[in-house]
Amino acid sequence: MGNKQTVFTHEQLEAYQDCTFFTRKEIMRLFYRYQDLAPQLVPLDYTTCPDVKVPYELIGSMPELKDNPFRQRIAQVFSEDGDGHMTLDNFLDMFSVMSEMAPRDLKAYYAFKIYDFNDDDYICAWDLEQTVTKLTRGELSAEEVSLVCEKVLDEADGDHDGRLSLEDFRNMILRAPDFLSTFHIRI
Amino acid sequence: MLRAALSLLALPLAGAAEEPTQKPESPGEPPPGLELFRWQWHEVEAPYLVALWILVASLAKIVFHLSRKVTSLVPESCLLILLGLVLGGIVLAVAKKAEYQLEPGTFFLFLLPPIVLDSGYFMPSRLFFDNLGAILTYAVVGTLWNAFTTGAALWGLQQAGLVAPRVQAGLLDFLLFGSLISAVDPVAVLAVFEEVHVNETLFIIVFGESLLNDAVTVVLYKVCNSFVEMGSANVQATDYLKGVASLFVVSLGGAAVGLVFAFLLALTTRFTKRVRIIEPLLVFLLAYAAYLTAEMASLSAILAVTMCGLGCKKYVEANISHKSRTTVKYTMKTLASCAETVIFMLLGISAVDSSKWAWDSGLVLGTLIFILFFRALGVVLQTWVLNQFRLVPLDKIDQVVMSYGGLRGAVAFALVILLDRTKVPAKDYFVATTIVVVFFTVIVQGLTIKPLVKWLKVKRSEHHKPTLNQELHEHTFDHILAAVEDVVGHHGYHYWRDRWEQFDKKYLSQLLMRRSAYRIRDQIWDVYYRLNIRDAISFVDQGGHVLSSTGLTLPSMPSRNSVAETSVTNLLRESGSGACLDLQVIDTVRSGRDREDAVMHHLLCGGLYKPRRRYKASCSRHFISEDAQERQDKEVFQQNMKRRLESFKSTKHNICFTKSKPRPRKNGRRKKDGVANAEATNGKPRDLGFQDTAAVILTVESEEEDEESDSSETEKEDDEGIIFVARATSEVLQEGKVSGNLEVCPSPRIIPPSPTCAEKELPWKSGQGDLAVYVSSETTKIVPVDMQTGWNQSISSLESLASPPCNQAPILTCLPPHPRGAEEPQAPLHLPSDPRPSFAFPPSLAKAGRSRSESSADLPQQQELQPLMGHKDHTHLSPGTTTSHWCIQFNRGSRL
Repeated sequence: MGNKQTVFTHEQLEAYQDCTFFTRKEIMRLFYRYQDLAPQLVPLDYTTCPDVKVPYELIGSMPELKDNPFRQRIAQVFSEDGDGHMTLDNFLDMFSVMSEMAPRDLKAYYAFKIYDFNDDDYICAWDLEQTVTKLTRGELSAEEVSLVCEKVLDEADGDHDGRLSLEDFRNMILRAPDFLSTFHIRI
Repeated sequence: MLRAALSLLALPLAGAAEEPTQKPESPGEPPPGLELFRWQWHEVEAPYLVALWILVASLAKIVFHLSRKVTSLVPESCLLILLGLVLGGIVLAVAKKAEYQLEPGTFFLFLLPPIVLDSGYFMPSRLFFDNLGAILTYAVVGTLWNAFTTGAALWGLQQAGLVAPRVQAGLLDFLLFGSLISAVDPVAVLAVFEEVHVNETLFIIVFGESLLNDAVTVVLYKVCNSFVEMGSANVQATDYLKGVASLFVVSLGGAAVGLVFAFLLALTTRFTKRVRIIEPLLVFLLAYAAYLTAEMASLSAILAVTMCGLGCKKYVEANISHKSRTTVKYTMKTLASCAETVIFMLLGISAVDSSKWAWDSGLVLGTLIFILFFRALGVVLQTWVLNQFRLVPLDKIDQVVMSYGGLRGAVAFALVILLDRTKVPAKDYFVATTIVVVFFTVIVQGLTIKPLVKWLKVKRSEHHKPTLNQELHEHTFDHILAAVEDVVGHHGYHYWRDRWEQFDKKYLSQLLMRRSAYRIRDQIWDVYYRLNIRDAISFVDQGGHVLSSTGLTLPSMPSRNSVAETSVTNLLRESGSGACLDLQVIDTVRSGRDREDAVMHHLLCGGLYKPRRRYKASCSRHFISEDAQERQDKEVFQQNMKRRLESFKSTKHNICFTKSKPRPRKNGRRKKDGVANAEATNGKPRDLGFQDTAAVILTVESEEEDEESDSSETEKEDDEGIIFVARATSEVLQEGKVSGNLEVCPSPRIIPPSPTCAEKELPWKSGQGDLAVYVSSETTKIVPVDMQTGWNQSISSLESLASPPCNQAPILTCLPPHPRGAEEPQAPLHLPSDPRPSFAFPPSLAKAGRSRSESSADLPQQQELQPLMGHKDHTHLSPGTTTSHWCIQFNRGSRL
């Protein structure tokens, strides 16, 4: 296409390369994907750093995502404003975290954030219930959910404060080494 | 002669072996009238020999395992082959001819299927599909590569004059030989790798390859064989194309046959609710049918059975009963291990027969070197390619193990025996070479792979039990990854798995699973459920023996269905902790009349001397009746209970058999109270949900822990009565005072609001405040008969664990009596009616388990527990103060 130059300035690309784990080519590919999400909203010229957000409604309504219980949470975690509207930077961030090059701690941190529904930096019983309810698509009764959550908490709660701190979470995740090593996708 | 040999072989069972040797005399002389005693060896010969062989093999296994040192160094397969050699030598020496060879027919029709079924059925499917790409590559490309390179290299060797000219073979013969010698053998791989314990990924790749390469081997072998038979001159271009096409037909066809049978199997088991007894049989029959069908259509039979096992497992496991599951598991393992043992032994025996083989050093050495070299080369090349795509690349050490783990085995041997000597003049040489290769790989590589793995520090498989966390995060991560893949529009692995799971959930599971099973079948819940069962079983194993009712004392574990459908649900909902070990919960709406009847009944039952129970002599073939032991245990338990009650009665006060007045305590309330009293000094009342300790994986406790718990349990057993609480929930609900707390709460309010840390940590603290309240509440009644029913119920519910009856209106939970429990009157604090597998562990057990998993964290808690013991007498008093309180507290909750 040759419009690499017209979309980003050289400096912008450099900056993106520094901030993410992507090569130039991948950044361009992700940009086109991003632009694809909302062709009418996202300009093909980013040299002026336009303040563009793809609203969550657009992301959440993708047919592939329709059944995904975590779509909203993911968008929320990665969007700056916390309500799921994503800028290009957020978008790149998201994939950057998921890339192979991203360090485990970063992945663990974001995974933790995804669990932490109420953003209080702890995974408490309530957060877990959200997760379990989402996962089971409402097939467990609330009582069962809370039983499960109690057990989950109990399993991982290293400091016995009834909630999981990032440290607890990381310990638990690292105990099963497959988790984070498979927590990435190839673009 | 043959019989003499047999008798020699079967020395261990001298008596049995004696019989055949006697035989010749009896038919010799004409029978004078009616014979008193007659040998009929010929009529039983074949099955007798089979049974004897298996027996010999099994005995040999026992002998091997007598010494732990030997088996830890030498893989069993090596020992078996050596034993086979020795036995073969004896047979040869005695019979002057080789007997009992490994016949290809027997091998393929009878010995191989159980092994493959076992491995397919118990294959970790997730791991398998995660690595499917790699497995398929190694299985297809790798096998083709090995076959062609080995064949061609051998041919080159012959052209170079390094193989003696008496080996008359052309390029096609060598390719044929290459095709049969190149396939990694599932039996050998399984036998060796199971003892090595490399990490799961590595294992599944090598093992998966060995299973899936069967299709390629079969095709290559057949194609080459027919080419050889046609003669190389007659082979036309279309034949090559057909050969390639047949690869797809054989592999995909085999897999399709397997999946069709898996579907049938799953569907059939959906309807076996009333004939549980044939469930295991169905599994074996249909899997075997799949094997035979594939074999009949000359498709890949191994692939068919593998796919059948892999495909049906999820649904079958959900459909069949708990007992059937255990039966399937053990029968499968037994058959597979039997078959494996016999295979290796027969391999050894077959090797002795020198008439079958002819030696050529050039060929043998060449083959050995080539298969090792090309295997290694192939693995390195393929891994390099694969690593471009794999999420977790395979490192060098993995590659070494994979190359070295390419064991050849009985499949190659059986195939080479099948060759037609008239068409393949060099057959004898090939046979000899195959035997050497098989022996070399199984014995030399099998012996050295363990040290090698140790030396290379290959990642071992950690034996970690599945935890709820793991399950939870796995699912979450899958969803997250799928979501991210969707956003980027990249249809990768996660995308397709997501699709498949949805399809499975929407259609397949609906169709193939019993409705009741389908509903319980949520994976997260399932793990929770299984953890609970495991804990329950280990609990019973540990503590249940105090009463002689060991095997029975499992608490009933009613299904989720019954929770959902009975009115007790609402009551239950509030007991979040679920650590209720109450004897029973009756959940029916009773009329006054009913109640009266019940009271009368209990009165009579309690007061009348019961005649010895008569049991129906049932010998139904369709149902398994509880065996005598169980009944006895039950009775012993009941008697125990009664005695205790009596003694308690006499020592304390007269019991009024009136209506039960349960003091239902709400969890939330309790917890609140607990907050207030969290710091109370009396640590005594503790009710700890068993799920609190769930993370604890109870396997084998250390000896001391055992002893500790034993002694503490037994010593307390004698002096304490067990207190029962029987209550009808309806009454509970009617109770004005109580009902305030108890209002039928719709589901979501289960969780007590914001439990404090202390509560979470030391839940018995939360029970504190309640003790007083509880004590002052109402009277209860003792209902031994109900207990009895509860008992029966619990047994039956145990039996139907797998697919619990949908509408089991009265949920009776019978919990394992535990003497310690008697000291704790606050039991009913728990909502007694928690239908979930709930019960608590003896503190010592929990302690043991916990200390295992979290070595240091629990020290303070252990100390905190100490006072509990000391307070024994205090609690003892409590029934006295609360005169009419009869509650059984089996709940030795202890959260550590």
